[in-house]
Amino acid sequence: MSQPKTISVLYFAAASTATGKSEEMVVLPNGDFKLSQLTQLLVSRHPNTNLDSILKTSQWSVDLEMVDDPNSIVLKGGEEVGVICPVSGG
Amino acid sequence: MDSRPPASIEAYLETAQHVCALTYNHLDTQRIISSVEDHGAGAIAVFIGTTRNSFHGKRVTRLEYQAYSRIAIRTLSTIASTVVASATRSDHQPEVPLEITRANPIIRCAIHHRLGTIPVGEASIVIAVSAPHRHEAFAVCEELLEEVKKKAQIWKREFYEGEDDSAAEWKVNT
Repeated sequence: MSQPKTISVLYFAAASTATGKSEEMVVLPNGDFKLSQLTQLLVSRHPNTNLDSILKTSQWSVDLEMVDDPNSIVLKGGEEVGVICPVSGG
Repeated sequence: MDSRPPASIEAYLETAQHVCALTYNHLDTQRIISSVEDHGAGAIAVFIGTTRNSFHGKRVTRLEYQAYSRIAIRTLSTIASTVVASATRSDHQPEVPLEITRANPIIRCAIHHRLGTIPVGEASIVIAVSAPHRHEAFAVCEELLEEVKKKAQIWKREFYEGEDDSAAEWKVNT
């Protein structure tokens, strides 16, 4: 039996307000799991929130690198994934 | 009370040319200016971003900032490197010999961003840039600020007078 693939997801700003969390461990389903599929998975973990609309305007980071194309990244387990909502520094 | 995500830590990154910092402490503008001082500088441009007491007619009581610090500090450093490198490639001051303008139009820069609760009137960001000439110092200072606002993984929440903390808005830079 294969080990479950787990990632840590970091929430900030509006995403952390919506989920009530700043981080959570997420077990990925078996098989290839693309970063682009993570939206659906996170939204299903947080029903009755506006996380869906927040994720639609957010970018992702994986292991401290911003991601241009979530479809091109396959998560293997062990990654630190950041939900990067539209920023407001400065 | 700060809501401080675990990833919103203090961070510091220094190279030969720039210093970037994320801190929960009050920003010491004079010390930040001193960090870019150089006898080769004819100009030091400084930007201080302060928290304003109003937004669209509503009274702001405080701002809170959080960062994904391990990414944000690298973003600040990349911004500093990139903006300074593009200043090196500019070609104004045509009357000065090329080898003089092309060498080090920027001497040093510093970007310090404060995190946590910032009362109205206090500084959230200080950017200081030293250069032989004022044109580059002003231009780079502004460009650093615009890039920070566009790219740094830092978020601001605005709290309004008479409203519950839960109604505080996460802002978005446009």
